[in-house]
Amino acid sequence: MKTEISQENDATIFTLSGRLDSHTAPQFEKEVEDYLISPENNLVLNFNNLEYISSAGLRIILNTAKAYKPTQYQFITCSMQDHVLEVFEISGLDTFITICRTLDDSLVALKDEV
Amino acid sequence: MELSFQLKNNGSELTTLHAILVKLEKRWALSGKTVMELNLILDELVTNIIEHSGCDKECVIDIKLIKGNSEITLIVTDDSPPFDPTLTPAPDISLPLEERGCGGLGIHLVRKFSDGCRYKRAENRNVLTLIKKLPKEHR
Repeated sequence: MKTEISQENDATIFTLSGRLDSHTAPQFEKEVEDYLISPENNLVLNFNNLEYISSAGLRIILNTAKAYKPTQYQFITCSMQDHVLEVFEISGLDTFITICRTLDDSLVALKDEV
Repeated sequence: MELSFQLKNNGSELTTLHAILVKLEKRWALSGKTVMELNLILDELVTNIIEHSGCDKECVIDIKLIKGNSEITLIVTDDSPPFDPTLTPAPDISLPLEERGCGGLGIHLVRKFSDGCRYKRAENRNVLTLIKKLPKEHR
């Protein structure tokens, strides 16, 4: 599991690759933690290269959504592989987390919000 | 066809589990989707065992996969204290974000991706048996 963090306009983009399970989740949780204490920017999680997610990963995504909910900033996910999307849907996370098809779509969605 | 292997109650064993299942995909001519779902089921069960066994004591988790004509039977046996995951209440996935908790998601995924689950305590070990039906084209 690897995370790359970049900035684009008014969004912080996390690009995840590899496998997000209970073994790798603590590392990712640490990386995302700083952004959740007091969000100062929109956050996009790009799942394009994420091959696998388990409930340990979903927990972090759920907590991220909760941290962003009361703020003026948006939290968006994008580019999920089919299996990852299915796990999101089965867990019901898709009902309150924005899932865009591509990174470009999510950047457009952020612009529309402004 | 059968495959048996052992894992320890250590998170790094999830990497071992994945490597074993990747090999099985070819050997048993399974679809990538089936392997991913078997991986998720076993990952969640092993993670549960690690969380419930306590980190101070090393436990052995025995996993056996049996391939039948139309389904795979998974038997997960461990020597940690009695724990029946089938009794875990299902999370209410229709709740809005503010009310959603994190508990029970793992076992929820196990239930959704498998087709039957049975628990027993035998000889001081937890024995969980699950059925995973195979898609028609891979039988």
